[in-house]
Amino acid sequence: MTRDTEDSGRTSLESARLDPALLEVLVCPVTQGPLKYDRVRGELVSHQLGRAFPVRDGVPIMLVEESRALDDDGGDSTS
Amino acid sequence: MTEAPTIPRFFDSAAQRRNRTRAAPGFDGFDFLKREAVLRMADRLALMRRDFPLCLDFGCHDGMLTREIMEGGKVGRVIQADPAPAFAASAAGTGPAVAVEYDALPFAAGSFDAVFSCLFLHWIDDLPGVMAQIRRLLKPDGLCLVSLLGGATLAELRGSLLEAEQELVGGASPRTAPMADIRDVGGLLGRAGLALPVADSDRLTITYTDMFRLMADLRGMGEQNALLARSRTPARRQLFLRAAEIYHDRFAAPDGRIPASFEIITLTGWAPHESQQTPLRPGSAANRLADMLGTAEQDPEA
Repeated sequence: MTRDTEDSGRTSLESARLDPALLEVLVCPVTQGPLKYDRVRGELVSHQLGRAFPVRDGVPIMLVEESRALDDDGGDSTS
Repeated sequence: MTEAPTIPRFFDSAAQRRNRTRAAPGFDGFDFLKREAVLRMADRLALMRRDFPLCLDFGCHDGMLTREIMEGGKVGRVIQADPAPAFAASAAGTGPAVAVEYDALPFAAGSFDAVFSCLFLHWIDDLPGVMAQIRRLLKPDGLCLVSLLGGATLAELRGSLLEAEQELVGGASPRTAPMADIRDVGGLLGRAGLALPVADSDRLTITYTDMFRLMADLRGMGEQNALLARSRTPARRQLFLRAAEIYHDRFAAPDGRIPASFEIITLTGWAPHESQQTPLRPGSAANRLADMLGTAEQDPEA
């Protein structure tokens, strides 16, 4: 995976490829609640569910079995 | 984690996702049925006298439907969704794509001007539930246009396998998926709250040299048996050899080729909107039927 360096101040290629129209309509598959896009980790975070869904090459993987519990490693990196 | 509501389970979604994932890399060698259904769906869309700026393609496979309908100029953007991440990844070459659960669509209510699904919904356990989700995703006057394999699909294969198993084992286990009957699925549209519902069915027959070629095609499409209740003991070679004989004896044409039937059911409905034609309220008629018929009205109670 190619990414811009962390200190360049630009968004990563990963986030540039997540389509804004897609991001606008996506919700959590379980709670139907909002998702927050964590550009650094390349994850869509459902705080209501307490899980994060991976984004692979611009394709959100909205499968619970592929998602990560936020508590496993001290939560997500969004504020 | 919230507990999912209990729905009768016919399908094993993990096995289905595995089948689709295995089929994804070589799908273009086995996409003839999808291609046929895509062309028929695009023809229907071409007849609609309006545009659909934002659409969803549920069960997108490799993105074939989206590529076809984008050419027609009636659709703006299409978001593609598939339960197999491998298919979502290959559809991403066509436009935005996302991997989704079979029965939990991760989209906000009222997002889409149209929801399409081409040869996918026959793998859904809770079809009424998914149709209700589709209805919820539509904007007012949004279009639901979906096709799925119907109950007449693979009738010859089902019959041959059943007969061979009864002969050899004295019982039968389900080896092809249960499929929707046109009479049952027609009612789904109304039940989901979709207006102006239309259901119709098309038959296709594809001929094969033998049953094993047909079964290889079904695997290539990712459509092989994924029944939850399927027999856990591997099917014996003998069973399939006998079924192939029965298939040939019952159905082969003079040239020795065997037919395989596919039924494609297409459902069309619209999210309700005040501009749509609706039936008049009972009792609101301005003329008496009896007057128009030139007879006297009769009171059935009399």
